[in-house]
Amino acid sequence: MVFNFGSTTALVSQVQAGAPADVFAAADTASIDRLRTSGLVSAPSRIFAVNTLGLAVKRGNPLHIRSVADLQKAKVVSLCAKTVPCGVYASKVIQRAGLALAESNITRGIDAKATVGAVVNGDADAAVVYVTDIAASARLVTTITIPTAQNVIAKYSITTLQRAKNAVAAHAFLQYVTSSAGVQTMTRFGFGRP
Amino acid sequence: MASSTVTSRTPRGLGAIGVIGALFLVLPLFGIVRRVAWTSLWEQLTSTQVTEALRLSLLASFLATLCALILGFPLAWLLARAHFRGRALLRALVTLPMVMPPVVGGIALLGVYGRTNGLLGSFLFDTFGVQVTFSLTAVVIAETFVALPFLVLAIEGGLRSIDPRHEEAAAVMGAGPWQRMSHVTFRLLRPSLVAGVAVAWARALGEFGATITFAGNIEGRTQTTPLAVYMLLESEPEAAYALSLVLVVVCVAVLFALRDQWLGRRS
Repeated sequence: MVFNFGSTTALVSQVQAGAPADVFAAADTASIDRLRTSGLVSAPSRIFAVNTLGLAVKRGNPLHIRSVADLQKAKVVSLCAKTVPCGVYASKVIQRAGLALAESNITRGIDAKATVGAVVNGDADAAVVYVTDIAASARLVTTITIPTAQNVIAKYSITTLQRAKNAVAAHAFLQYVTSSAGVQTMTRFGFGRP
Repeated sequence: MASSTVTSRTPRGLGAIGVIGALFLVLPLFGIVRRVAWTSLWEQLTSTQVTEALRLSLLASFLATLCALILGFPLAWLLARAHFRGRALLRALVTLPMVMPPVVGGIALLGVYGRTNGLLGSFLFDTFGVQVTFSLTAVVIAETFVALPFLVLAIEGGLRSIDPRHEEAAAVMGAGPWQRMSHVTFRLLRPSLVAGVAVAWARALGEFGATITFAGNIEGRTQTTPLAVYMLLESEPEAAYALSLVLVVVCVAVLFALRDQWLGRRS
């Protein structure tokens, strides 16, 4: 099995440009709908995991950031690009907290990994990204939970593609990911049950 | 002459591959031109994100070229004129950023100027509260880092090609070292200086990897034109192609302005 990871938006572009893929998984449901209108999808989409957002700050939390509202203390906040799902979700969460961050304080990552990376390796003070991506760097950042009322729920969906070369294997993989064993695996990495 | 007609005859197969090689390089340029939406070109080039990126790129690449010139000229002088042990090693180190992947350059710069673990950066932040990263300063540093070697090599080559007798003559006539440098060396050096500045500037303008790693991707502050192209490719591909066209046109203009330097003047 060969994986090709990237931001949902980038992967949609790749599939539209004819990338040789059998299965497509996205961090939202709208992206698969978009591919469906282009006639590139061969099965109904299924939600296989859910995710929420959290705050990642510099280890030890030197700026004492305790909530989304505290982000105004940060000089540089790392968010995903406006066009990828995690960027869209982050805008919602920030809006809900009644906060308006100046664009000149926001650095944009091309995907969730790069966005956390700006806090881990670079000098961004905080990132608003998926809790699963923060968990993957848990030893390198301090994690702050965003309360459910303020948070969003990202629904991850998966489908098989029209141009699949291995239609049978594609279907089998889809079945596995959405099975209880598949969901079990996803929860081990911090995702929620669909 | 008989010998020249023999050497100038190109083997048939070689010529064909040469043409393919030329096409390989030129075709992608048509790839950009083909995808540009000409009717809405002006609209795309005047959106806030694009004009901000262009403004920032012009400012940062100008400052970077200036820094490269200030640091590069003395360095080139050392490499061309001074005799000391380890000169070959120094030249190798100076050219390293030319061949190093820019993203590695970005990580290396973080190691020096980073706020938390940087060699100088942590001192600057703890003592003066100054943060270099994720700022215009960081963009200029990243661009200077990648552009400097081009300038140094161009000036060094120029210095070596100057006939020392011109400077000796000036010395005989009583010119001091600074006077000799400004009146004789600089004048003779002008062509290589211009070429070096142009290539260094073009390289600074195109910098991507070190910038996104070291200076981040902040609209209006550190999102230079190449970064904007990369971000726009996902959201508005047409704007990305329009902006790419601008960069290509600028580079073609630089090459055109320098055609004498590189294509060699036919005597």
